[in-house]
Amino acid sequence: MKGKGVTRKDFLKIMGMGVSGLFFIPDICSAFFFSSKRNRRNCKDITGHIFRGDAPSRLWKWSKEGAHYSSDGKLVQCHVCPNRCVLEPGDRSVCRSKVNIGGKLYSLAYGNPCAVHVDPIEKKPLYHFLPSSSIFSIATTGCNFRCLNCQNWEISQRRPEDVKFVELFPAQVVKEAKRWNTPSIAYTYSEAITYYEYMYDTSKIAHEEGLKNVLVSNGYINKTPLIKLSKYLNGANINLKSFEDRIYRCLNGGRLYPVLNTFKTLKEEGVWFEMTTLVVPTWIDDPEMIKRMCGWILKELGPDHPLHFLRFFPHYKLTRLPPTPIKTLEEFRDIAINEGIHYVYIGNVPGHKGTHTYCHNCGKILIERPGYTIGQFNLNDGKCKFCNTSIPGIWS
Amino acid sequence: MKRLIIWSIIATGISSVATQLITIREFLTQFHGNEITISLVLFAWLMVNAIGSLLAKPIRRGSITLYCILILLIAIWSLPQLILIRLVRDFIFIHGVSPGFYRIFYYIILTIAPYCLMVGFVLPFSLKVMEQVCEPVKTGTLYVLDNIGDIGGGVLFSFFLVYWLKPFKAIAISSLLLILISLLIVVKLKKYMLSGLFCILTISFYILGFSYKAELSSLEPQYGNILSYIESPYGRIVITSEYPQHTFWESGVPFYSDANIVNSEEKVHYPLCQLDRVRKVLLISGGLGETLSEIKKYNPDEVDYVELDPYMTESAIRAGVLKKDSRVSIHNMDGRRYIKTVNKKYDAIIIDLPEPDTFQINRFYTDEFFELAKVALREGGVLSFNLDYSPNYISKVRRRKLSIIYNTAKRHFKNIIIIPGMQAYFICRDGPLTANIPQRLKTLSIQTSYIEGFYSGNVTDERLKMINSVINKREGINRDFEPRAVCIMFREWFFKHGTSPNIFFFILIPGTVLYLLLIRKEEYLLFTTGMVNMSTEMLIILTFQIIHGYVYLKVGAIITAFLGGLLPGALIGTYTKDRVRDRLILLDYLIFLMLGIFLIWALFIRSSLSEPVFLIYCFIFSFFCGYQFPLSATLIGEEHSPASGCISADLLGAGMGVLLTGTLLVPYFGIMPTIIILMIIKVSSIIIFLFKREGEVMPT
Repeated sequence: MKGKGVTRKDFLKIMGMGVSGLFFIPDICSAFFFSSKRNRRNCKDITGHIFRGDAPSRLWKWSKEGAHYSSDGKLVQCHVCPNRCVLEPGDRSVCRSKVNIGGKLYSLAYGNPCAVHVDPIEKKPLYHFLPSSSIFSIATTGCNFRCLNCQNWEISQRRPEDVKFVELFPAQVVKEAKRWNTPSIAYTYSEAITYYEYMYDTSKIAHEEGLKNVLVSNGYINKTPLIKLSKYLNGANINLKSFEDRIYRCLNGGRLYPVLNTFKTLKEEGVWFEMTTLVVPTWIDDPEMIKRMCGWILKELGPDHPLHFLRFFPHYKLTRLPPTPIKTLEEFRDIAINEGIHYVYIGNVPGHKGTHTYCHNCGKILIERPGYTIGQFNLNDGKCKFCNTSIPGIWS
Repeated sequence: MKRLIIWSIIATGISSVATQLITIREFLTQFHGNEITISLVLFAWLMVNAIGSLLAKPIRRGSITLYCILILLIAIWSLPQLILIRLVRDFIFIHGVSPGFYRIFYYIILTIAPYCLMVGFVLPFSLKVMEQVCEPVKTGTLYVLDNIGDIGGGVLFSFFLVYWLKPFKAIAISSLLLILISLLIVVKLKKYMLSGLFCILTISFYILGFSYKAELSSLEPQYGNILSYIESPYGRIVITSEYPQHTFWESGVPFYSDANIVNSEEKVHYPLCQLDRVRKVLLISGGLGETLSEIKKYNPDEVDYVELDPYMTESAIRAGVLKKDSRVSIHNMDGRRYIKTVNKKYDAIIIDLPEPDTFQINRFYTDEFFELAKVALREGGVLSFNLDYSPNYISKVRRRKLSIIYNTAKRHFKNIIIIPGMQAYFICRDGPLTANIPQRLKTLSIQTSYIEGFYSGNVTDERLKMINSVINKREGINRDFEPRAVCIMFREWFFKHGTSPNIFFFILIPGTVLYLLLIRKEEYLLFTTGMVNMSTEMLIILTFQIIHGYVYLKVGAIITAFLGGLLPGALIGTYTKDRVRDRLILLDYLIFLMLGIFLIWALFIRSSLSEPVFLIYCFIFSFFCGYQFPLSATLIGEEHSPASGCISADLLGAGMGVLLTGTLLVPYFGIMPTIIILMIIKVSSIIIFLFKREGEVMPT
């Protein structure tokens, strides 16, 4: 063997090294398993699709021609949201509310809300908008997103025809809100943008009748319809679900940039809005991302619009994640405050001090919220009782 | 060599059954462990095994070297399979998501296919190998050997390994015999290069199998930072840490996290504040975290906390989320069994269990359970439990669920209110009830964080009216033997995922019909026997749990009795030479008779049977089933190589039995109609045999 290649000694040495190398298998495997923890995760786009041939053959009582669409007599394109669904006759949009019948776009969600409730305004959450008031809240079915943790999936992921509803056309909504003695109406629960026509007509009448209008939404709307709607909007709570387009695609089935544009438009149009971020563990818990998000908010929207960090609880399909640690919420709140945002709140944690409003100038407590009711209220005409600093919001 | 091959068949049985049990447990922690998932996993396992057996049918000559490689692969692949199941999940599904029916099915098939195909293939293939190297055994003997291995694997895992070892080590131990045999065969064949390769694979397998570090890190992608990890007989308990927060996971789902005050306050105060004085409280599950401290605000004399899994309470005590207290007694047993046997009378019974989507949990939402609970309550006592719902809109399927449970409880309690909190809380009592919880708490001077501040905004009069108005009094009653709630839960699950099982059944039914048209009549008989045997096993376990409560060892004993009965039946069948056809028909009659006995018992006697009677019944039932297998093979004739066809018919029948019984028959029709349907299925095989022409009978 000698001179030809491997000697017996070499062979034994190689074998010995090989066998001892086997003992590193657990370490190699552990390193591989660990690396698959985050960076190899599936993040497939879950954006919804058009429902071909799913439109009803005839319109029903609760239909209205779409407000923003184009048609070539056969194909129609909805321009309300960035999905911009192109529908052939008989098709239904991604949000399930719009259909193409005879070359025209119709909304099937008009005057047929399936959820009608009276809620505290703080539940939306809106903390700088008529505190402690009640708000008449409505929703029809439909959503242009596919959020895996949707709390209202039983209506957001259904067609208008599939649910039990009540008949409330716009004028009746306003009448009901007045009967309940609420100063405002919220378009909420599912996704208000999908029943745009209903919301628009209702908010117009409500505005004329002296009621305020509040949009609670994912903010996935195009600029033109939003500008038109903004004339009648007094407040909004818009979800900023993440600050990464990738996460928007795989947890929500949407895109980030149109949402950012919505914030800018609302700002330009002078609509009071607050922002909500649901802190989903393992997805939306990167402090660096939150830092970037706060940086963008400060640059584009300024420091005055409140930001709510909400605690996540498992819901709908996203049930194999733990609730958000309170410590993470506190850390994010600190990051946002340190970055310069004036009003940062923690939500879904009863009794937490992060639910109160503190003056950004003197730091004293302005509104104490032991729940939906108010403890201390230290504002006079929208100004801090202690240092007379003007506090942004709609206070009366 | 023959002896080694015979031992390898037994060892394959041991290794494959242990792997099957470990894999099924793994899938149940990977996916939502409802009855559909359980049935789907078992069905997929048996079906792919059957396909593997069918693949061996056209093979004429068996190679001993290939056989040797196959058995080694079977022994060691079980470990990479387990790792793949854990790791591939996040590549296929979005992290944190519970997937729906079809995606679960594809995932199961994808991950188990190599292993199950090999296991299904190797059994009939071993006969062909024996034909080449020695005198082969008969198909019936092969069945007996496989059964010995199956019993060995079942007993080894269920009564020993599950208590002491985690899955990696359990696989390593259960594969030991098969690995040794494969090494011995390869050495005996004087294939030294192959022997060297086998040795390296074996060493690698054991190094990985005995590494706790590797096992723990294979779980981390799913769970995160694991503090502690226990495999109990009831499932997997993982405790993770997210900053200072602890989360307890039971079978892959987070069921407790620190600082969930809303849940604790709602489940405790809604029922307890209804009472003027709280002396004795029974809490069935859900006692971790703040729950017990909320109960203590009422200053009770005694709190009995019943939790099935002792490992759960032990790890909770260690983690500091369950504090020891002289007034609190922890009972680790089945809640239903406890409530049936306890002599105390309670002021309040709080049930905090998951949704009734398995037969096991459904037992806590039935007419019979509420009757038992009423007996355990003192006069004017209160019972509470909660169900999932959506606060803003209650869908049709959830309206039906709430209505069925309401109507069932209403048969035993004069007053019931449903409080629309984060969940729908059912408060049941014969005395007065109020939904004005903050007022009651004020009267009792009990302070809370959530209820005081948020109740009136969340539980408005309008929402209270809405939830209580959705109850349809005409919806049926949920009973132990007619688990309507399980059926509704299936619908809710499919509804949530926007899918329907129809396509699955549309493919499965014609596929099965086609298969049945192609097989021999003897194989059809085995198909129906496999189906009836597996279905009856499921029904017996279910009825046993209903009557005696869920006791791990006793359920294990039932499964062992079923497996144990097959063996002597098959042994006697192997030595039976005469009147084979008549005996087969007689055995079909006897199986039919056994089903009839079960039906009569389920209709008229029910709860008066002792545990040994259950075991004897299981043994006799499967004795008849086991007896049929070698007889069928004999009737077909060894010259027609009946092994593949018979084994696959038996496996496919068992798979179909699991699926139909677990997902369709029991939830939709109840236990009695299911037994009747099984009797009809058995009648079909009797008829086919009775009308079989003489010419069709294979020579014996």
